[in-house]
Amino acid sequence: MVDAARHPNIELLTYTEVKRVEGFIGNFKVLVEQKPRYVIADRCTGCGDCAPVCPIEVPNEFEEGIAPRKAIYIPHSQAVPLVYTIDLDNCIECYKCVDACGKLDAIDFSQQPRQQWLDVGSIVVATGFDSFDPTPLLEYGYGRYENVITTLELERINNSAGPTAGRIMRPSDGKMPQSVAFVQCVGSRDERYNIYCSGFCCMYTIKNALQWKQTYPDAEITIFYMDIRTPSKGYEEFYRRAREAGIRFIQGRPSRITQDEATGNLFIQAEDQSLGQVIEMETELVVLSTAAVPRADADDMGSILNISRSPSGFFMEYHPKLRPVDSPTDGVFLAGAAQGPKDIPASVAQGAGAAARAARILSSDTWDIEPIVAHVWEDRCVMAQGKKCGICATKCPYNSIVTTEGQAARVTPAKCHGCGACVAECPHNAITQMHFTDAQIFAQLHALLAREPEKKIVAFMCNWCSYGGADTAGTSHFEYPPQSRGIRVMCSARMDQDFVYEAYRLGAGMVLVSGCHPQDCHYITGQQVGAERFARLADRLEKMGISPQRFRVEWISAAEGAKYAQVMREMHETLQGLDPEALREENERVRPDLERRLRRIPEIPDVAEALETVVCV
Amino acid sequence: MAVINKFDPAFKDEVMAEPGGENLMRCYSCGTCMAACLIRRQEPDYNPRRVMHMAILGLREAVLSSPLIWMCSACDECYPHCPQDIHISELFKAFRNIAVREGHTPPEPAAHVNERTCVACGLCVEVCPYDAVELVEKRVLGHNRMVAQVDAARCMRCGVCAASCRSASIDVPDFGDQRLLERIQQELAELGEVLA
Repeated sequence: MVDAARHPNIELLTYTEVKRVEGFIGNFKVLVEQKPRYVIADRCTGCGDCAPVCPIEVPNEFEEGIAPRKAIYIPHSQAVPLVYTIDLDNCIECYKCVDACGKLDAIDFSQQPRQQWLDVGSIVVATGFDSFDPTPLLEYGYGRYENVITTLELERINNSAGPTAGRIMRPSDGKMPQSVAFVQCVGSRDERYNIYCSGFCCMYTIKNALQWKQTYPDAEITIFYMDIRTPSKGYEEFYRRAREAGIRFIQGRPSRITQDEATGNLFIQAEDQSLGQVIEMETELVVLSTAAVPRADADDMGSILNISRSPSGFFMEYHPKLRPVDSPTDGVFLAGAAQGPKDIPASVAQGAGAAARAARILSSDTWDIEPIVAHVWEDRCVMAQGKKCGICATKCPYNSIVTTEGQAARVTPAKCHGCGACVAECPHNAITQMHFTDAQIFAQLHALLAREPEKKIVAFMCNWCSYGGADTAGTSHFEYPPQSRGIRVMCSARMDQDFVYEAYRLGAGMVLVSGCHPQDCHYITGQQVGAERFARLADRLEKMGISPQRFRVEWISAAEGAKYAQVMREMHETLQGLDPEALREENERVRPDLERRLRRIPEIPDVAEALETVVCV
Repeated sequence: MAVINKFDPAFKDEVMAEPGGENLMRCYSCGTCMAACLIRRQEPDYNPRRVMHMAILGLREAVLSSPLIWMCSACDECYPHCPQDIHISELFKAFRNIAVREGHTPPEPAAHVNERTCVACGLCVEVCPYDAVELVEKRVLGHNRMVAQVDAARCMRCGVCAASCRSASIDVPDFGDQRLLERIQQELAELGEVLA
């Protein structure tokens, strides 16, 4: 941190909050608010003469509330910058600190919050995590029993720079405990609180236990665990070292902790699964390994930065495997536990990765963006005509569309990733997608269904998954009927219901819409937008009189070539089972309804011209 | 309910200090030994993993007085499978050595030497896979002479000594020649009845 503060190219803004972020990759504008310290940073030397004279004592947040701090304070002795801050919520304005500061005259009660706009090219989000508060887990008695503490509290007690100067003592009587029990997975892997595994708790517990054992070899140390998870390099060896050092590992999640009023000792009840028996253990101290949870303000931060959050609440990466450092918003990167629970080596690696990704943008004069982006025909957007709409903005997974009353929807091309959800969802056909315009897709449909349409299976495929699946079927030589006709779009979100109507209007035998499995979508929520649409569409088609077996929705990954071929074979079989005459009659029957629904299609720019020039193959 | 504090936390150190017991704390209770164990097929109560875990917890008396620690036949079917490289039969030998020192005896008698007929040829010493037999000088029928002597803590009751003894002077009780012959005849008779 000191190095960062001294670096000529790094400006450190501490005690500063991000209020707003506007713009896009390479051109962000960030509004920050520097909070008043009531101490002039340039004058404060960090000598510390002010704190001893301050009469106010409040719990020290950095010490997990174990030790007090004054109303004029530094968070901890290695704080950067080493500048005191007055906590005005607790300060009684006795001005004793002003006298103590003397000639330096660094204290200034008139300071106000200061806002400023910064121009930045890229943003790295490294806001960290919070520790789960185990109070709601009544069975463990945290908050009721003094000698039940959290790991972070132990870290402070165990720290040589901490309030006890590294002497381990338990809260109730200040004695050095001879026995300690660690309880794993408190608040994690728990459907009631957080379903995920926090990942690094096993290792920090083993670290604390081993450190304790090495300092006090006679201490009785027990770890209650469900599974010990030590997956990284050298971690399993560390776990073995802890076992060999005589630390007792008991597989079983304690069901209850009770306290002996007289001694303050605790009784833990658990099933020892290896022993196959319920056991009870008396111990002098219990340490709860609490889950890592998203920061309390992650929701606000997410909306300020325009980045979404995973179901667990941590910030979501662009792709879990291939782009784990990028956020879905170009130019915004994630580092450390803000993206998910992470230990130190992983956080350092991700931080270095994020810095390198950010530097690429800073060192470039220009930046290539996706050519496949949405475009609004302003004259067609009803918002411009003063009507209420804004559907496109609600469907965009990247928040790249801004809608303002009385103005046409505005797409920021640098933020658009080209899923096409807005295009398909726009009820007024006022948005198009570059390279996948309605005109192009209607023209493809007309060409593919020019001859014997009732024998054809039209398959709409997403670029990343089902098209890849069809490709795999081909390269793997999985046979499927030649009657299939594929149309590729970028995402199932782009598959407009009008495309399906048009396919049936032209007499197609079968229609398949296919895309990624829900968790695999390359456009965050694109697949969901598509899936909801197709669920409604299936009902509507049936009500219109189209046999339900003629419409199918399948999620096929790029690896599932066999599944793609199988779906095609099944659909072909179904089609062959239908009476051709009845099929033609059904098409004739629904045609007026379809034509009514499609009556506005020729008004879409370029569609009419494109259909005139369709060359049938 | 077992109360862990009544256990002896120093027991694991005692076992680890005993030859063969060094790797006790490596056990992470995966159960591979249990799945491989041949004894368990005959003795459902026997579970080497559980015995080791009892020792780690410090269930001193329960381990030392348990008939389970005497059941291991040292076939070493488990040893090559153990992912923590614990030589379990050696570990059980360590349990037995401590148990014998504490005055515990194996539930089943070890091989027994008829000192009157033993000629101290040493064949049993040679064949014993567990180094449980040695030749010692003893006063037998008023004379000092060499005879075989069995270390009960090491004897696994396999009977190799009895089968190889030229003078029929060493025997495993309950598995003596006479007892085995009777059992064979009984089995044959039952088989005869079934066939008839």
